[in-house]
Amino acid sequence: MFDVAAFKQQFPLLGHYPELIYLDNAATTQKPRCVLDAERAYYETSNANVHRGAHRLAVAATEAYEGARDTVARFLNAASSDEIIFTRGATEALNLLANTVGMLLSPGDEIIVSTLEHHANLVPWQMLAERRQLSILPLGITASGEIDLAELATFLARPRARLLAISHASNAIGSIQDIQAICDMSRQHNCLTAVDGAQAVAHLPVDVQALGCDMYVFSGHKVYAPTGIGVAYIHNKLLQRIPPWQGGGEMIETVAFSGTRYATPPGHLEAGTPPIAQAVGLAAALTWLAQQDRAALLAHETALHQQLEDGLRAIPGVVIHGQAAHKLSLSALTFGHVHPYDVAQFLDAQQIAVRVGHHCAQPLQQALGITSSLRISLAAYNTADDVARCLAVLADTLDMLN
Amino acid sequence: MIPTELLAHPFGQTITLTQLAATLDAAASWEAKNRLLVQLSRQLPDWPAEYKTADCKVSGCESQVWLRQDRSADGHWQVAADSDSRIVKGLLALVLTAYHHQPTNAVQTFDFEGWLQARGMQRFLTASRGNGLRAIVQTIEKQRQ
Repeated sequence: MFDVAAFKQQFPLLGHYPELIYLDNAATTQKPRCVLDAERAYYETSNANVHRGAHRLAVAATEAYEGARDTVARFLNAASSDEIIFTRGATEALNLLANTVGMLLSPGDEIIVSTLEHHANLVPWQMLAERRQLSILPLGITASGEIDLAELATFLARPRARLLAISHASNAIGSIQDIQAICDMSRQHNCLTAVDGAQAVAHLPVDVQALGCDMYVFSGHKVYAPTGIGVAYIHNKLLQRIPPWQGGGEMIETVAFSGTRYATPPGHLEAGTPPIAQAVGLAAALTWLAQQDRAALLAHETALHQQLEDGLRAIPGVVIHGQAAHKLSLSALTFGHVHPYDVAQFLDAQQIAVRVGHHCAQPLQQALGITSSLRISLAAYNTADDVARCLAVLADTLDMLN
Repeated sequence: MIPTELLAHPFGQTITLTQLAATLDAAASWEAKNRLLVQLSRQLPDWPAEYKTADCKVSGCESQVWLRQDRSADGHWQVAADSDSRIVKGLLALVLTAYHHQPTNAVQTFDFEGWLQARGMQRFLTASRGNGLRAIVQTIEKQRQ
């Protein structure tokens, strides 16, 4: 049986604010003590620059950093650690993909981007399309908020469709896509698939080989790890074909004015001193997460989410956006004439933290016909009391504002 | 010219900043201040849809804010504003109290942010992406230059 109190105790911030009800986990999760300890221990015992130094600390730092790459590879079940590239976050990872894999595309090629995407999985492709004379095909969603698979099939059948950009789970409405089936469809048409896993990794098991995706990205800070670290997984076959993007130290083999040779993959994609301590923190978070009973964590989150949506449906005037069969433990809400910002202010006054706005998914908000929503997103340290309190304050607030 | 129906509010004329400061200071908790802002919003007229045009929309707010400003014949700045958020509209009532119906040379140096901070309401400034309060005040001051 999952012991939420014991789990929650591992998070110093939540202990620091005992009254806080943190329901903004899709924006960023809080960090367990072991992650903070790992970063601090790295700086206290192993800090040096990686890969180049001829001294024992440099060896320790390099081992810590490359060890983190191995940990990420195991977490994603990548075939090799070489397929893991560290970035600042999912956004930089997607920019990396657009600037490297994107260079394999030719003028007139088409990129399919779903309407569910976070701006981070749309704007880099748009910028690429402008530079390389490519077209973006906006892939629609169904009434329940899932990818329109019929339209996807139509798009994939187009001769110039080369790349599909899709999220594993929507940050704004929580829909979980059947990525394995989508990657299968994509592969049959020789179309590459880039999966934004930013919202999925903290909640769902991810196996990039089973999913069959060519690219998978995520941010550390949404999976209990520090900010400033993210991951791009690129399948080796693709990795060997792509050019570097940022130039600088670390990514080269030899440099001369007459010409520069780049490092072998994945080194050629990591220019400059990498975020070493953050990679160590990420590895600590993923190791810690792997030690948890993840099925129990997910079951706990799912039960809380059921409690939340049952409660929301009982409050007059609440509209829940996104009714996908498979949803993350998050709910996007509007309240008729009552503005989500106002509701959030009254929740905040009771120390309940939620997110309001377009959630960096304006095309999706346009498709839903709304300009702003309030998002409640759960993590495994949330409790049934958190949900009950949120529902009670929400009901009172709406009563008062109506 | 700003339609008179949009100017039918007490802020800056019968309600002064001194009065509002006293009321806000008496509302001790965040909750009480939020409630007060909602009450203040009810004294600002809701704009008919035809006045909510793109040219008077203030960008930089997650709620929608519309603002019109003009100089009247007697040398006063007239300001009218509306928002689809009650809290933001309550904040607009504070802004209007500082800027509406003031002599054209009077309010250039008013430290609205300092005034809010003194009320313990700086959270409405730091969370500026949410309510756009800074953008609203900047819009008013820029239009007056």
